Amino acid sequence: MISLEMVKLIMQVAFRNLWLYRIKTIVIGTLLGFGSFLAVVGLSLLQDVQGSMRESIIGSIAGHLQIYSDKAKDDLALFGGGFMGRADIGELSDIVPYRDLVMQNSNVSAFVPMGMDMSILGRGNEMDDKLDALRAALKSGDSDLIKSRVEQMRFQLDQLKLEASEQRKLVADKTEIDKNEAQIAKAEAPGFLDSLSIHDESKLQFLETKIAPLSGEKTPIYLAYLGTDIELFTKNFPKFKVVEGESLPPGQRGILISHKVREDQLKVVVAKLFDRLHKRTGKGGVAIKGDAENERNAGDLGRQFSAIISSVNRQQATDLSQKLKDLGLDGGEKSDDLITHLTNQLKEFLSVDDQNFAQRYDWFYKNIAPLMKLYEISPGETIALRAYTRSGYIKSLPLKVYGVFSFAGFEDSDLSGQTNIIDLVSFRELYGKMTEASQQELTDMRSQVGVKQVDASNAEDALFGESSQTELETRSLEAKKDAPVSQPLSIKPSIPSNFSLDEITRGLALNAAVKLKDPSKIESTRKELEQTLKEKGFEVRVIDWKQASGIVGQFANIVTLVLLFAIGVIFLVALVIINNSIIIGTLNRIREIGTMRAIGAQKSFVVGLFLAETGITGLIGSLAGAGLATVLLLVLATVGIPAPNDVVAFLFSGPRLYPALRWGLIIGAPLIVTLIATISSIYAARHAAHVQPAEAMQEKE
Amino acid sequence: MTHAIRIEAVSKVYPLGNTEVKALKNINLVIEEGEFTTIAGPSGCGKSTMLNLIGCMDTPSTGEVYIDERPISKLSDKDLTRLRLEKLGFIFQSFNLIPVLTVYQNIEFPLLIHGGFSAAERTKIIDRLIAEVGLKDQARQKSNELSGGQRQRVAIARALVTSPRIVLADEPTANLDSNTGEKIINLMKEINITHKTTFIFSTHDPQVMKHAGRIIRLKDGEVVES
Repeated sequence: MISLEMVKLIMQVAFRNLWLYRIKTIVIGTLLGFGSFLAVVGLSLLQDVQGSMRESIIGSIAGHLQIYSDKAKDDLALFGGGFMGRADIGELSDIVPYRDLVMQNSNVSAFVPMGMDMSILGRGNEMDDKLDALRAALKSGDSDLIKSRVEQMRFQLDQLKLEASEQRKLVADKTEIDKNEAQIAKAEAPGFLDSLSIHDESKLQFLETKIAPLSGEKTPIYLAYLGTDIELFTKNFPKFKVVEGESLPPGQRGILISHKVREDQLKVVVAKLFDRLHKRTGKGGVAIKGDAENERNAGDLGRQFSAIISSVNRQQATDLSQKLKDLGLDGGEKSDDLITHLTNQLKEFLSVDDQNFAQRYDWFYKNIAPLMKLYEISPGETIALRAYTRSGYIKSLPLKVYGVFSFAGFEDSDLSGQTNIIDLVSFRELYGKMTEASQQELTDMRSQVGVKQVDASNAEDALFGESSQTELETRSLEAKKDAPVSQPLSIKPSIPSNFSLDEITRGLALNAAVKLKDPSKIESTRKELEQTLKEKGFEVRVIDWKQASGIVGQFANIVTLVLLFAIGVIFLVALVIINNSIIIGTLNRIREIGTMRAIGAQKSFVVGLFLAETGITGLIGSLAGAGLATVLLLVLATVGIPAPNDVVAFLFSGPRLYPALRWGLIIGAPLIVTLIATISSIYAARHAAHVQPAEAMQEKE
Repeated sequence: MTHAIRIEAVSKVYPLGNTEVKALKNINLVIEEGEFTTIAGPSGCGKSTMLNLIGCMDTPSTGEVYIDERPISKLSDKDLTRLRLEKLGFIFQSFNLIPVLTVYQNIEFPLLIHGGFSAAERTKIIDRLIAEVGLKDQARQKSNELSGGQRQRVAIARALVTSPRIVLADEPTANLDSNTGEKIINLMKEINITHKTTFIFSTHDPQVMKHAGRIIRLKDGEVVES
């Protein structure tokens, strides 16, 4: 029926018409080309982002699958579920049976137990740190060191005095200030600090209890952490890397601090403000003047002089004052008092603007930063974590900081940097589960004081029932006899810094990451695991990395929707224009259509002709669009797309995204665009086919 | 002998706003095969309506039109189209060629729509017709490069290419000078004689009219002379 000649004929006539109405053709072709361009570039980048996000998420903490209890009240959200706080994801009371079942699956390569929680970081205050240093110096007996520390203490006192006099100006009730000043005066009085050369507990206690509180407690920091088996973790999460210090040694209690957390929360404010301004003015290219965020940070920076002052001793202060003077900053009116003078100089130094910022930034890191303790926590130190356990009491635990880590590719990302890493045993303890060592300790204490463990459910019967062999009165008397109250218990409550390695191969975890050998079978393996675990009576949820990552995993889906919506809108506009132009075009071509119909062309021929016109326009336009898209992607594949901010950096899984060329998409997208455009012009084409053959006879007037 | 066209008690009524216009009133007419007939009359007399009905581009309100003894009023659009393609040829006042196509391709057009002709068959038919209308040298030219007379020759060839029994021509000389018009009418006449094709054309040019073997005059939708 439809011969090759006929197709040729239709094409020839179609091309002629397209040329005749070329403006219209160009408009429609451009629109469809743009749609196709957007589809190729957009979907291509989206797939890249999804791919890299997948890599980031799987390779950092999620693994391919996550297993957690079905009794969970909240969904597992490894990168945050959109709100802060501790999610209740239930617990796996003993990982052994889960691991055994999961590892039986032929596609599973690893089972990594985990648990996420947060604790309060005990911080003390500025003065406490100095007092600790003083104590250490006194203990060492190094007279030079003691002298320097005492000097430092005196310097701190000077500042406290300064602060008190500032406060006097502001506060109505002066009695508190009078009291404080009296304490400071006592410490500064001859025969107190200046004679402190050997360990004098009464003096130290006075400083610790009366003076230190005056410098105020620092606001608490919540540290989120992931408790895990570090050996398994390191092996299975290739994005994990230690950037400072060392990794957690197996079998040791300890914590690894996230680089991002350290930069954001544990860095001294003055340096943090310099960093923020540097990032936003340098890489971000935003001037300080006129930008609200920069102006706020610059304003805050101007008030940070005291942090610098309190970090330096008198000698350092003198040197710094001289250096600032050499820089041309002499603090306005001259003051004989070193601290007042340095304060004025620093105020001047810290008032930055667009002209001086770059220079001040460098100067700060060269001359001031080395004098300060830049980070509150550094590898080698021990920190105290305080957690509210699940049972409600407060558990405090000292943990050695072994190192600083980050996840490769998204070092600076807000989304990935919130979690620190601790060993699973310490995690359990902070979570409220006793370690074997603690349990042993408790048993020993019980046996010594003669406490009998009684289960709450039958407590009454056990203690007071017929069968009870305990005579409460007698027992307590015996206890008194055996261990006099005046003597301390012989078991020292101690927390060993290590644990036996098999302690982490069993026992509690909150969730577990599962790594697969063949990631393409993720969904079938997920179902298999769910099935196996359910069959054995374990009530768990098995979810994939996308779901486990919480809101971040949904991000790609949202972007996809937005993109498809945009393409859809362009399409809709193009289709309306196409249909309109065919209908209007029909008016110009009534006689031509009528003639064809009169000399024997069926309606279907006319429909075919119009569809051919749209099809040709669509194909040429969208192929051109896809071609341009390919060129763009080729260019981007060599230079890379820089991530403009941290969130995007996380999505890109690195500072730059190098898009891949997807030929299926490059060829498929224009074909689909053409097909949809052609199909959707059927209505208008049928409208054109309704032109009466008699119209051929109508003469233009 | 069958009648080429038989019109029986045909009326055609068009709605015009709330009223109706009776374009044709109870027409009875027979046109025999091989006739060279003109339909004449002033504007608005029903000439066009008559040609539309004969050309199967419209159906009567009442009565029946028979083409080759086949009634058309009950035919579907598809069948009417097929009937036009096979039995009828059309020549238009403004030639109505497809500008992008060459002379040859314009003439080939109905054959392609018709289907069933091999390339060799088509060439044979078209070459003969091109020679017949005297356009051998212009065969590969685009139709919009031709003069009016030449275009109308192409149109005549196109009308004849499917060997129709009847050719309808709507004012075929109206857009041509009288000399050229004369030649076109003579060509049509020649074909009428050699091919025995029935020719029906409308005109209001007395010079053209005199070539006709029969004149059907219409006035106010009625046949006043036939």
